[in-house]
Parts: sequence; structure tokens; C-alpha cells
Amino acid sequence: MFKPFLRSLVAFAFVSLMLLSPLQVNAVNNFVESIQRRGYLKVGLPPYNTPPAYYIDPESKELTGYDVEIAKTLASKLKVDIEFDRSSTSFNNLVERVGLGDFDLGIGKLGLTYTRLFDAFPIQYLSFRHAFLANRGFISSLKVDPDDPSFGEILKNSNIRIGSIKNSTWETEARVNFPNAEFVGFDNWTAAKEALFANDSIVDAIYRDATEIKPIVYSKPDLSLEYVPILFDELIDRKSIYFSQEGRLGLEDFIDMTLQREWGGIKNDIAILDEFQSYYLAS
Amino acid sequence: MNINPSTIQAICSSILSFLPKLREPRNFFFYILPFSIVLGRLIPPSSSSALNDIGLSMVQLIAFPAIPLVLSAVMISIANIFSSHTRNNADRIRFGTRFVVSLLSAILFATSLALLLSLYQSPGILSPSAKLSIGRFMLDVTDIHVGAVASTSQANDIWISKIIPSNIFADASNGQTLKVISGSVIAGLAISRLKPDLTSPLISLLRSVNSISVQALNIVLNLAPLVLICLISAAISTINAEIVIALLNFTICVFLTAIASLGVSRLIYRRFTSKSERVGISVNPVDSVFLLSLSTGSSMTAYPLLFETLTGMGRNESEVEASASLSLLIARLGNVSYNVIAILFALNLYDVGITPLRIVEVIGWGAITGISAAGLTGVATVPTISVALLFFQVPYPPILVLLLAIDPILTLPRAATTGVLAMAIAVVSSFQSPAKEAPPNPESAV
Repeated sequence: MFKPFLRSLVAFAFVSLMLLSPLQVNAVNNFVESIQRRGYLKVGLPPYNTPPAYYIDPESKELTGYDVEIAKTLASKLKVDIEFDRSSTSFNNLVERVGLGDFDLGIGKLGLTYTRLFDAFPIQYLSFRHAFLANRGFISSLKVDPDDPSFGEILKNSNIRIGSIKNSTWETEARVNFPNAEFVGFDNWTAAKEALFANDSIVDAIYRDATEIKPIVYSKPDLSLEYVPILFDELIDRKSIYFSQEGRLGLEDFIDMTLQREWGGIKNDIAILDEFQSYYLAS
Repeated sequence: MNINPSTIQAICSSILSFLPKLREPRNFFFYILPFSIVLGRLIPPSSSSALNDIGLSMVQLIAFPAIPLVLSAVMISIANIFSSHTRNNADRIRFGTRFVVSLLSAILFATSLALLLSLYQSPGILSPSAKLSIGRFMLDVTDIHVGAVASTSQANDIWISKIIPSNIFADASNGQTLKVISGSVIAGLAISRLKPDLTSPLISLLRSVNSISVQALNIVLNLAPLVLICLISAAISTINAEIVIALLNFTICVFLTAIASLGVSRLIYRRFTSKSERVGISVNPVDSVFLLSLSTGSSMTAYPLLFETLTGMGRNESEVEASASLSLLIARLGNVSYNVIAILFALNLYDVGITPLRIVEVIGWGAITGISAAGLTGVATVPTISVALLFFQVPYPPILVLLLAIDPILTLPRAATTGVLAMAIAVVSSFQSPAKEAPPNPESAV
């Protein structure tokens, strides 16, 4: 009685192992192998120029930047060529397309939001603080000392008019973190900056990560009199590389190891500003 | 190599005898200032912090007799002035009225003078290159961090909470000068209401404390030249020359206020002292007070000179003690005028229109914030202005950064203004003592 049961149990376990284990191994190999069969890595990039992360070099007219270099490193480790696609209409559109399998991965200072988590699967590689470049006049109108512990809460609950790129992570973050604020969306970052510096400005601050805010005053120091960078130490933008479900399953360990060995782990805004000092600091 | 102990002794004694000579104000300009500037240019910026630390340690040493001096001077003078046994009511009213009127007049004068000079010089209206220099200096320094460990706010930490005494000995040991003053005034009033046989032991003890404190101040003041060499050369080594040039109009205003205050104080001295009182005084003592305060960067160092000059002229000791110590420590007229200039600098920098109402507000806030610097010294007095800037809704962090950057220079004329105007108040409010003694040469007191 016991022996036939034991035999059946061992047989069931063996058949299960035979059926399930090869499936797991085949899934990883399939994704990597499909890339290798194709011969190139399909990378989605946002349709903007965001130096020094990704941009067309004015002299060589070639796509360059640290995000481009990370993608190229991944391709070289996979022993394939690379193809960049910049046809997405916005950051969110790019993430949606990655999720649908249009690209093997999407990169380009892409932040992490709930909406994007519905569409694709992220792996973090940068950790940037949220930041404002705010008009000092508006900050003074709050009538609270910026060193006062209550300053942060008062600012977050104020009626500040925040400008940034529309349909970006910053629009989502502005609505979540600053519930009473008015968000003003712009087609691109240059338009947002111009709006802040206009005489009758329609915004009190522009919103992005510290590596985008600090270089504005570095390149034009006299702006420091009128405008002040506000760095939110507790609001962190987890910049991520996005994948489809299959891509995440197939490349996760590969990406982790490459980022650790070739990129130096997750980097924060201070490290990036320091590493690309020659780019950020005005000559 | 063997060094003969007698050689070391000779070197030490020559240094000790040389230092008091260096304390003479004219030597500040002829020797100390040029030497410090040259030294500051020669030393590497990395060693400037060590030099600065040494200077600040010696400043701490110089400041150590201040609290017992204040405590004893205020207590004795208030007790004497309000005592019904030594003075009548008419005398008290006369002194009190003259002191209050002269103090208020001096505050009004200091604010008006600073205001007129600021309106004329227009500090804060900057050229594009000056704005660029300032902007470069402020990079990373004035960033606002939300969510980080916040530093203690200094903006609202003023006046009322610092004036009410808690325990006069605890206040004295904690260096709470304002609390010591208010506590001493109350204690002095209490002493004045008691019978002399009860209070005379305490009065004689306080008198001894006062004399010892003055003597101690005279001894530690010998270090003043070394302090100045350390502080000025450290400041020269690190100060941003670009910022000084960018804020030249502001700097000129502060220096002109000091010089104008000197002129007015000289006139008051001539007008409110008789020829007989000035017998034996070859140099105008206001000049000596000005130079001593300017060269040490501390108006309190002028107290012994001020006291001995006026009592030497036969002025009532209690009145001189009260008026000199209170005007030096409480009125802080150098800070009052400095703050008026700094507020106008900030308003100009941020294009805030100057209306008649705003001028009145500037005068009021300049006086309030300047007086709230009582009990603070040197660079610590600068942040008092932040309350006024918050009122005018002008961003104060960048203004403070700029003011602190050039404060090693401006603390000197600020102290000089306080010193000479305190002298003027003391001259106006004190009267000839009934039993006038032969006046000793006050210059020998320094």
C-alpha cells in the first residue's frame, strides 16, 4: 500500500521537475537569445535632448551621454549592436511602448511613478533628489524662515505655481507632493525655464531633479540673487531603466551585474554633478 | 645649541613691554594693519583657519572681564543714582531725563544719518558684473534643503526672551549679557531702597569687583594687537575680494557713518564740557575712543577709557558708570546704523520701492534689530537683521551670506560708531560731581 503511493509521489515530483525547471531556464535564454539572433539591442530614448544624460552632440552630431553609454555597454556585454529609437512622443509614451514590447529596454532619466508601474517594469540605476528652482520673492511671501522646521510643510501646502514638462513624471509628482499647487505644463524644459525667467512669470518655480536644477544657476550665477534651488532631501526620484515583463525576467540579473561592475551601482545626484562637473560648471 | 635662560627672559620681557605700546591706536594704522594685510596675502588659505581660531580664543580672553564689569558697574550706578540717602529726587529726574533724551536722540541721529547716506550712496544697486560676482559667491551656499536636519532659526529669537533675567549668577555664567544688565538694574534698584549700613558691604565688594575687572581688561587688552594680526590676516587670506568690490557702496556707507558719528561726537564733547573740565586733556578723548574701538573691533574695550576720562574730568561717577555701560551695551548705535544701511541695501537689491512710509519702517526696524544685538558681539550681531528682512518680504538668506562675507571688515567701523556715540551720550547725560577732584591725565588710563 505504502510503496505504490511512494512510487507515485516520486514519479510526480520527477515529472514536475522535468516540466517546470526547463521552462524557467528557457525563458531567460529565449529573451537574450532573441536579442542575439536579431543582432542588435533595441533601446527606446525620449524624444528630447537632456545633456549630459542623452543628447545629440553639437559637434559630432552623434547621440551621446551617460544613458547612451550605459545602453551601449549593455549591448557590448550581450555581444550585439545597438539601435536607438527616439520616436516616442513623451516620457510616458516611451514607457508604454517598452511595456508593449516595442523595445528591449527604455532609458533616459525616466522617473518612477504609479502610472509607469502599470505599463512596464523598472530597474533603478540613479537616485536623484526632487528640486525646485524657485523665485525668492515667492519664498519670502511665505513669511517663514527657510531654516524653520515647518518651512517644508508650508511650502508643500502652498498655492505655488509649478512649471515642468507636461506628461512627465514631474507632472504626476507635482500633483501628489504639492496638493494645493497649480501645475503648468510645458512642451519642453527650455520653455519651462523661459517661463520662470519671464517678467510676468506664470510660474513661481520649476520642478525637476537636482541634476537639472543646479546646472541652471551654475551656468548663470547671477540668477542666484532672484532664484534659489530648493532640494527635497526626502523626495527621491528613482531613475530607472524600463523593461517589458519578459525583458525584466530575462535581463534582470544581467542588468544588475552590469550596473554594479560597469556603472558603480546606484548613483545619487551629488555623484553625477561631481562626475560631470566640467559639463555642469560654467567656464 | 644652548639657549641662555636670561636671553629667553629678555625676549619675553621685551615682548611684554612692546605689546602695550602696540595698543596705541595710531600703531594700528602704521604697523598692525599693514603687517596683517601683508601676512594675510602671504599665508596659504589652509592655515587661515588656525590663525582665525587663535584670534577668536584671544577675543574670548579679552571678553572675559566684561560680565563682572557690567554686573558691578550697572548695579553700583543704579543703586547710587536711585538712593534717597545720596541723591535727591530732582537729581534722579534730571539724570534720567537727560539720559533717556540723549539716548533717543542718538538713536534717531544714527538711523537718520545711516538713512541719508544710504539714500545718497544707493548700496544694493549693482552693476551686472557685481551681480555676477555675488551670484558666483552664493552658489551652493544659499540652497534651501527641505527635509534635512534643520538648523535653529535665529530669525525669531530676539529681544523679549533674552531680556528677562532668570538667575543673575546663572545668566552671568552663561554669558547672557542682556539678562545680566536687566538683572543688575533690578538689583541696583533694590539696593537703593535699603539702608546704607545693610548694603555697604555689598557695594564695597561690587566696587572691588569693578576695579579688578577694569584692571583685568587693561591687562588682557595687551593681547589686542595679536588678536588683530590673527583675525585680519586670516580674513585677508580668505576674504573674497570680488565681493568686497561688489559691495563697495555698502562698505563706504558704513565707514562714512562711523566717521560722521565721530565728527558729531567731537562737537558734542566740545559743546557739553567746560574749559575747566578739558584742562590737562591734550587729545580729544572721542578720537581715542574711536580709534580704540576701531582697532579692537569691540566697543566694550573703550569702557575703561570712557569711564576714566569722564570721572577724571570730575563727572559724577555713578552717572558715568550708568550712562556709559548702558549706552555701550544696550543702545548698540553702531548696529542700529549698520542695520538701517543693510535693510536699504536689501531693498535696493530686490528693487523694492522706497516710499516715505517705508523709510519710517526702515528707521523703526533698523533701531529695533540694532538694539536687539545687545549682548552679542562681532559677527553674531549680523543675523538680527533677518527679522526686518522678513517684514519687508525680502529674501534674507542671500543678504546674510553677503553681509557675513564682508563682516570681518565692517565689524570695525560698527564698533567705532557704538563707542563714540556712547561717549556722546555719557557726556550729555552725566553732570559734574559736587566734590570735584583734580583731574588726572585720562590718556594715561589707556
